[in-house]
Amino acid sequence: MDFAIKFAFDILAFTSVMVLIVLGLGVIASMMGIFNFAHGELVLLGAYTVYLSDEHGLGAWPGVIAAPVVVGLVGFVLERTIIKRFYATPIIAMLGTYAIGLIIREIVRGLLGGHYKSIPEPISGAFSVGGLDFSIWRSFIIATTLVVIAGSWLLLARTSIGLRVRGALENPMLARACGISTGRLYAFTFAFGAALAGLAGALIVPLYQLSADIGIRFLVQAFLSVMLGGVGTFEGPVLGASAVGAMASGLPWVVLPVLADPLVFVIALAFVRLRPQGFIAAGRV
Amino acid sequence: MSGTDQVRAVGRRGFLGGASALGAAGWIAGFAGGWVLRPNWAHAAGPIKMGIATDITGAIAPSGNANWQVAQFAVEQINASGGILGQPIELHLEDTASDPKIAVGNVRKLIQERHVDVVLGGITSAMRQAIKDPIVNRGRTLYIYPQLYEGQECTKFLFNTGPSPAQQCDRLIPYMIKTLGKKRFAMPSANYVWPQLLNKYARKVIEANGAEVVFEEYYPLDQAEYSATIGKIKDGKVDCVFNTVIPPGLQPFVKQLYESGFQKNGGVLSCVYYDENLLNYHPANEMDGLVSCLDYFQAIDDPFSKTLQEGYAKRFPGTKYLFTAGSAATGMYRGVKFYEAAVTATGGKLGREDVAAAMDHAVLKEGPGGGAEMVPGHYHAKMNMYIAICKNDGGKTRYEVIDRANMVDPREC
Repeated sequence: MDFAIKFAFDILAFTSVMVLIVLGLGVIASMMGIFNFAHGELVLLGAYTVYLSDEHGLGAWPGVIAAPVVVGLVGFVLERTIIKRFYATPIIAMLGTYAIGLIIREIVRGLLGGHYKSIPEPISGAFSVGGLDFSIWRSFIIATTLVVIAGSWLLLARTSIGLRVRGALENPMLARACGISTGRLYAFTFAFGAALAGLAGALIVPLYQLSADIGIRFLVQAFLSVMLGGVGTFEGPVLGASAVGAMASGLPWVVLPVLADPLVFVIALAFVRLRPQGFIAAGRV
Repeated sequence: MSGTDQVRAVGRRGFLGGASALGAAGWIAGFAGGWVLRPNWAHAAGPIKMGIATDITGAIAPSGNANWQVAQFAVEQINASGGILGQPIELHLEDTASDPKIAVGNVRKLIQERHVDVVLGGITSAMRQAIKDPIVNRGRTLYIYPQLYEGQECTKFLFNTGPSPAQQCDRLIPYMIKTLGKKRFAMPSANYVWPQLLNKYARKVIEANGAEVVFEEYYPLDQAEYSATIGKIKDGKVDCVFNTVIPPGLQPFVKQLYESGFQKNGGVLSCVYYDENLLNYHPANEMDGLVSCLDYFQAIDDPFSKTLQEGYAKRFPGTKYLFTAGSAATGMYRGVKFYEAAVTATGGKLGREDVAAAMDHAVLKEGPGGGAEMVPGHYHAKMNMYIAICKNDGGKTRYEVIDRANMVDPREC
């Protein structure tokens, strides 16, 4: 029983990590129709911000707080200068964002000298409930993920900004005719997605090592999550990420670990074959 | 730097400038297409050309740069004391870029364009497998491989100067079973050749000493989540984890193991490639109590090793590429010195057959961790092996050496 609770906690913690990473990707894919291949590197920039603040003796906290802001600004600049040219050509957008990601990744690799860096948890240690120890930082990630999901959902589904974003997505021409500045909204949405990526990077980096490849290892699973959940909705990618996260951490218990990764893909692809629209049909936010 | 050192170094300064810039910014070197480090004096017969093929860029650049720096350090020492029988050594570097496909072409350059007399280098087993044929067979050149590895490399004209599985396991595993009283082993591993063959050997030693292997499991190299593994460790009442998971999958595994209370409940984490570099990959509390077994630790009490470290620190002040055992740096030093010993024994003849015949029974009196000697006919070297435990002193990690075994047999070939 004890073990089952711990196991469930670990799966929940990893699922939260997946959801955090997928959220920004899902927002940009659903709201703007851009598959952002630089997403992993935005996660990396968030992680790198924490490393910089830790290196300069400020501790990890200022970095965790600054990461979404810094990466959000990077996202804003990227959208205004590069991404906005890609809206008409989604395939070229994939290649373009991949190139951006590659540039960011190799610059950071150079700055790190190829080394792996350990970042301490801002709050380390564990708390006990009923004789079981739970990592404080993992619990913090779970809680933050829930808050971020709720906040993002409220922002996009319950505020006038969200309404305009959705309107601009649904019918850009009509939205512009109604006096909505779609250009500015897209920039805002992209910056928001980037900020979520930055936050994800800042929160997960203490669990992993900071290396230039920290983002890329999650990227393929993140795309799978978006596909599984369904593009065009907010809830879809969140559900998709939960399913992929739970499978990725749970499957090694029942099959050989080297088979678990491919099996996640097989299951997800089989599901998408049967239900091409994903968990949740598009067009409803 | 003292006065005499300065006098000695002035002539080399011009050449060293380029090389140290390369060390400082290794990732630019890929564009340059090879480097030469010339001695500052000449000999009628010309210099001995030593080729270094190592990973200056790419995923394992930190180890590769340490190798290159140690090679420079060792060769400069030899040249400063008159070379090998009066002949200086000229160093030629090619970047293998952590990528066997790139490496093969670059290694060919060393052989066909630079005509080197010997090649040292390669860190991963995949790299060794890729470059040994262009060097030894097609290139007809002597090859020295410096890294600890999975064993079973018995190619003629290929000498191994790092520890074998027997050297790493024969003393360590009985220590964990007999002294620490551990009986139930788990072998979580990255899915490639080194863990698979090392585990095969380690399993034999574990079972021969009356303990058992609860599970042996292989993961994708970048696996990010290990709760199932931790579950099996708890479920199987494992009290010793013999880890061969490597970065980037390594850190999440070690963290989850620590969080599960494994060490707190008396479990021992052991990992035979952990040197001083690896400790910095984790928070100090997760490393407390880790057991490693290598041919050298900076903490060992050996005057010659201490002098080496001081010389290295002076040559590369503030370097981030340490002179340690796990990154093949000690094997590189030994390789250069074995070659020196072999050429001295041939009386300066550089032909591959002559040098290999002399190398076969070469002996080093001193080195990092002590001397070493080639086991004739076996292409591997006997060396001292040390068991060390990691201690956490208020957030700072250090190794405490608790056991030393003299001239351990590699038991290969």
